[in-house]
Amino acid sequence: MGKIRPWRYPAKWGLFRIDDRLLLIVIGAVVGSCSGIAALLLNRSLIAILETLHDYRHYWWAFVLPATGAAVSSLFLKKIIKEDAGHGVPEVIYSVSRRGGLLRLRSSFSRLISSCLTIGSGGSAGPEAPVVMSGAAIGSNIARFFALNDRQRITLVGCGAAGAISSIFNAPIAGMVFSIEVIIGEWSAVNIIPIAIAAVAGTEVSRVLQGNQIAFSHRQFNLGTIDIVAGIGIAVVTATLSIVLTRLLRKMHKVSGQTNIPLWSKAALGGCAVGMIGIFFPDVLGEGYHSIRSMIEGAYPGGIAIVSFLMLAKILATSFTLGWGGSGGIFAPCLVIGSFAGIAWHRLIVFIFPSIAWANEGCFALIGMAGMISGILQAPLTAIFLIVEITGGYEVILPLILVSAISATLCHYFEPASFYLRDLVERRQLLRPGTDGRVLADLRVGELLERDCIVVGRHMLLRDFVEIVKKSHRNYFPVEDEHTGKFIGMIHLDHIRPYLFDSVMYDTVFLEQIMETDVVKAYLDNDLNDILRDMDTLNLYSIPVISDGRFVGMISKATILDQYRKELLVQTTHWT
Amino acid sequence: MKLTLQETAKRLDLPTGMVERWIRQGRIPIRKSGEDCYFEETVLEKWAATHNLAFSKKEDELREADIKKPVSLRSAMENGGVFHGVPGKNAEEIFEKIISRYDFLSETNKELLLQRLMERESLTSTGIGNGIAIPHPRSPLNEAIKQPAISTCFLENPIDFKALDGKPVFVLFLMISTSIQTHLHLLSRLSFCLRDPSFVSFLASLPDKNRLLEKIALFDRIDNQ
Repeated sequence: MGKIRPWRYPAKWGLFRIDDRLLLIVIGAVVGSCSGIAALLLNRSLIAILETLHDYRHYWWAFVLPATGAAVSSLFLKKIIKEDAGHGVPEVIYSVSRRGGLLRLRSSFSRLISSCLTIGSGGSAGPEAPVVMSGAAIGSNIARFFALNDRQRITLVGCGAAGAISSIFNAPIAGMVFSIEVIIGEWSAVNIIPIAIAAVAGTEVSRVLQGNQIAFSHRQFNLGTIDIVAGIGIAVVTATLSIVLTRLLRKMHKVSGQTNIPLWSKAALGGCAVGMIGIFFPDVLGEGYHSIRSMIEGAYPGGIAIVSFLMLAKILATSFTLGWGGSGGIFAPCLVIGSFAGIAWHRLIVFIFPSIAWANEGCFALIGMAGMISGILQAPLTAIFLIVEITGGYEVILPLILVSAISATLCHYFEPASFYLRDLVERRQLLRPGTDGRVLADLRVGELLERDCIVVGRHMLLRDFVEIVKKSHRNYFPVEDEHTGKFIGMIHLDHIRPYLFDSVMYDTVFLEQIMETDVVKAYLDNDLNDILRDMDTLNLYSIPVISDGRFVGMISKATILDQYRKELLVQTTHWT
Repeated sequence: MKLTLQETAKRLDLPTGMVERWIRQGRIPIRKSGEDCYFEETVLEKWAATHNLAFSKKEDELREADIKKPVSLRSAMENGGVFHGVPGKNAEEIFEKIISRYDFLSETNKELLLQRLMERESLTSTGIGNGIAIPHPRSPLNEAIKQPAISTCFLENPIDFKALDGKPVFVLFLMISTSIQTHLHLLSRLSFCLRDPSFVSFLASLPDKNRLLEKIALFDRIDNQ
């Protein structure tokens, strides 16, 4: 142990003493590689399970497969890992904004296993979010091992997420952008450099282990102006689908929340529904990369009607899987729905305007995917870079940007918060760095206490109090019980001024007779946001802070402003 | 130079809890060695400058500014001196006589002081009754003097000072202060003494300097308790 200890504090190593950015870059690369390996592991095991189960798909009882998978994964998460179901990205974002990026070690593999069970058995979900979660947890725990501080840990969490996405899609820029746009939410050089390195490491790991293959290779596209105009149509369609999917997921979640049966049986129920849909439309099962591939190649069979039905079926299957407690992300289903939407739209316009020379179907599938991703995640940059990279198709960049922007804007209009952030926004827990909410959340009541108030006893005479007023330079006097020391009321100088000059009252009035008992109080663990709201609505400038029934100090707007400014300065200006 | 957590918090004018949180969150540059932290003064100073935060130079300066004890009545009276048998028929003549003995004032300041004293008298008399007056300039002589001074002047012949109770004045406490605050403080201390009837009768016995200052020291002690 003695020999290992110095390892734990890399900040002591001579090399990193020069510049601690170097430290983050080196550890970032390690984190990126580790999460890249985790992503590959999930990918490989998914393929293995899918292939094993493939032989059983044609039996009539095949619909129970997704049910079993979802139920087992739900049991695994709930009973063994003791985590909530869901894809995990909101947990990562919450941890980054409130807990300095702390994540449990078991999170680094829990979602991998549970999503592997759900998706491998046929559930309609994506492996990306679970991989992001485990990458982030790997980063967090490596940071903890090396005793790094919160800022460095958050960067490493971002590195883990970037490495995971980069590795699973063989797309370094998308990984980088996703990590910064969705997970960290702050564009600063301090974060970008280690995250970029991690993205490179993650990608390289995947290239070394399974070859440099583009996830969905494509043919050459020739895009005309008319195709770009038609792209606007796709933007509208994908935006609508995004809203439908988001609302349906929420609805399912609500219904399943109201159903009074054990969690695992809910997941089983959802899985059964998915299995039923799978009997008619087998393409909706699993993560769906296979169908994406054939759609981009323009070789997807069926007419407009079948494709449209498939699209709706996929939406339904995804909401059944994720809304009822299956484990997995929404990334891959979005890609599938997007490409279905793309080719449906292509077939529709070809049918209406047969004389125009449209670009081929695959191109529209790509644009549809981008529209769907930017609609659901409201992360247009991630969508653009991801599609460009996973298809190697730079020719489609113009409609891609256009569709991503329009789709994200339209969705934002109906659903102000993206799929990943909605829960956090509803719980008021989305606290991006440098925002008002974040500054207020970081400041603790204990740091803002003004301790220069003189506490007086309830049985003190007004005469003695006048002497104390002479010495004090505050207008507030908390009153406590002499025996118990508990806070019982406040005296505000403004309210008792007339009596102070009435010497007749000096020996007849006790302080408990003139104090106010109906006082707005704050507690040490209160949210600063709530305290400020109380101050604003009741027009107060100072509030007494109570801890354990005792008075500990005053909190006032002036001090809050003073420390708020310092906190904001420190949060928004980076020193390395 | 290495600083402790408490020193750092004090120099940054922040609660210790906030500095601790900043260390945990990695917002403030420190040298970490295992569980121990070190603060480098020069590094912190640079960091504070880039973040627009105040970083006070030396702790001692702070302390000096904080603990500025108010001047005691006795020392002020010692500065001003005690004069017996001051001649003069009216206020202006008496003031001139006293001011001429102030070595610490330049000629222009002496004129200024007289002018301000007369201005104050023209507003309303400073005779507070019982044969006592506390003349003082209309506004303090900020730069002209370093220490506040109260001159006790027993007059040769009691004169009419247009006092509140109409009694002729036999003793003057001429007060010059460095600031409004010291003026108020000394005035409050002095009037506390003068409210005591035994002190007034003591004054009527025309005590010499030492006896007077001893008596005043007694009052100062009561105040400090």
